[in-house]
Amino acid sequence: MMQPSTPDHPLHEPQFALHVEDLTVSYRADPVLWDIDIDIPPGVLAAIVGPNGAGKSPLIKAALGLLPPVAGHVRFFGRRYRDMRRRIGYVPQRQSVDWDFPATALDVVTMGLYGRLGWFRRPGRAERDAALAALSRVGMQDYAIRQIADLSGGQQQRVFIARALVQEADIYFLDEPMAGVDAVTEAAIVALLEDLRDQGRTVVVVHHDLTTVRRYFDWLVIINRRVVAQGPVADVYTAANLRRAYGGQIALIEAGEIVP
Amino acid sequence: MTWATGLLGSHAVQNVAIGAMMLGACAGALGCFALLRRQSLLGDAVSHAALPGICLGFLVAGGRELPALLAGALLAGGLGALSVQLILRRTRLKTDAALGIVLSVFFAVGVVLLTHIQGRGGAAQAGLSSFLFGQAAAILRGDLVVIGGLSVAALAVVALLWKEFKLLSFDPDFARAQGLPVARLEVLLTLVIAVAIVVGLQLVGVVLMVALLVAPAAAARQWARGLGSMVLLAALFGATSGLAGALASAGMRGLSTGPVVVLFATAIVAVSLLLAPRRGLLWDALRRASARRRLAGTDVLVTLHGVGQAHDDPAYPVEGGMVDAAHGLASARTLARLRSEGMVRAVTRPPETRAHWELTPLGRARAEAALRGNSGEETA
Repeated sequence: MMQPSTPDHPLHEPQFALHVEDLTVSYRADPVLWDIDIDIPPGVLAAIVGPNGAGKSPLIKAALGLLPPVAGHVRFFGRRYRDMRRRIGYVPQRQSVDWDFPATALDVVTMGLYGRLGWFRRPGRAERDAALAALSRVGMQDYAIRQIADLSGGQQQRVFIARALVQEADIYFLDEPMAGVDAVTEAAIVALLEDLRDQGRTVVVVHHDLTTVRRYFDWLVIINRRVVAQGPVADVYTAANLRRAYGGQIALIEAGEIVP
Repeated sequence: MTWATGLLGSHAVQNVAIGAMMLGACAGALGCFALLRRQSLLGDAVSHAALPGICLGFLVAGGRELPALLAGALLAGGLGALSVQLILRRTRLKTDAALGIVLSVFFAVGVVLLTHIQGRGGAAQAGLSSFLFGQAAAILRGDLVVIGGLSVAALAVVALLWKEFKLLSFDPDFARAQGLPVARLEVLLTLVIAVAIVVGLQLVGVVLMVALLVAPAAAARQWARGLGSMVLLAALFGATSGLAGALASAGMRGLSTGPVVVLFATAIVAVSLLLAPRRGLLWDALRRASARRRLAGTDVLVTLHGVGQAHDDPAYPVEGGMVDAAHGLASARTLARLRSEGMVRAVTRPPETRAHWELTPLGRARAEAALRGNSGEETA
């Protein structure tokens, strides 16, 4: 399944689940990410935080080859994305698709297996069972044949996560999975992510809520177009770092008493 | 019925009917992908852009040779679609402006070429202006082979790449992350849609083609629960519209097929928007009315509950006139409904002669649930 590294592409920094080096990404002429260097070790639950427009989503999209970088490269356990596709799971922002698409929750989860199925092959019994199992893991087994248009926002988010779970990946990227879901769903999602981490997988989450960073995550990357700080949450989550990333907005954060 | 079978006995009408059904089915099925990818208007641009291609095909072939016309239409239509993409990528114009520009420029060139050809006179140009509004009657038996072949080829591509096109239409980013060549698949899908448009031009013409593409798909979306059933239904709606239009125009003099086909298709859309379960307007209205009735019922229950509380007797009987005073004269109907639901019962305690209303345990539970801020409705 996994392609062996060829002499043309020797392993590069294989000790990191995610290694980003010199990455620059731009929309039109304006760079949205500038000279990014990030290393995330395996088996951590990592948050990427930063103010609006800091380039959090573009960072994930560039890492997964959805945005062409102007410069730099990204490695997963030392390998390029195209050689690691089957071992990487992706949960895009929920608002990135039209949920009025005619499909059931089961249909959407099964889409996570399309890449593995290969050309022309249709999903069959095995794929259906795998998709149902993934739906159970997010507590959505009773909604398998429900239209996705009829699901609540939190349920849609869980369907999206189930679609990534079915990929049985080693590294997961989630783009704002906790945005616009209720507290119960958020707790369920966090428990699931911790579960993945405890199985030795690496989970990278674009996160917007600073108040929960220390509770949910053990690794933190703060960006604002450039990397502001990265490392274990306990070391990185400091008032100084947050002030450097968020600038004027920091008064708000301090008023919320979330900075030690 | 005998009228219809009589019509179908004629070879000319057979040609038209079969052709119209194939074109309708093909456009309907592929229209689903255009609709779901929000590219309905791209279909409009492609069909208008096809006109200059048809004229050039005519000039090159020196006559109304369907393969040449379709090849020209496909080339020009494809060029139109490409121009839209190019404008979107290279300039700051938005989609609507890009579509408007491409559509009108290509169409203008087409009309210029068309009038030039017609100015030359002769019988040869007869079949050409029919591409403006379509003329199914001009479909010949030999044309059916071309139309059928192209339709089958387009549908076969969709069947083969079903799951790829499905994922592409729902979530292109995820498709790309899974390693699908999204850009190439998008080009292929657009090309296949362009084929459906180009063959459909014969039936309804460049001006109305977008309706044949979008209407069956929009109607099918109202009823379908999956992409497969949506595509099949849209094909069925398209074929039905085609057949109905062909028969109607064959049966009545002076009715041109294309517009009639489009009118049938839009009638199906109207019925679907109105009546489809869960998504239809009628369904919405019924759901709203039922919610309103339930709310009125809950209000009355809460009133009865409040009166009971004030008298330290949860089942305190309340006079109907008092409920009317609190909730208006319609409350008699509401009370009757609540009674049939087992929420209240009518009691007459001597010496009173008129019935009074008291809460049942069920009604009390619902009133208390409402007071706790829970509407008592199951959440979806």
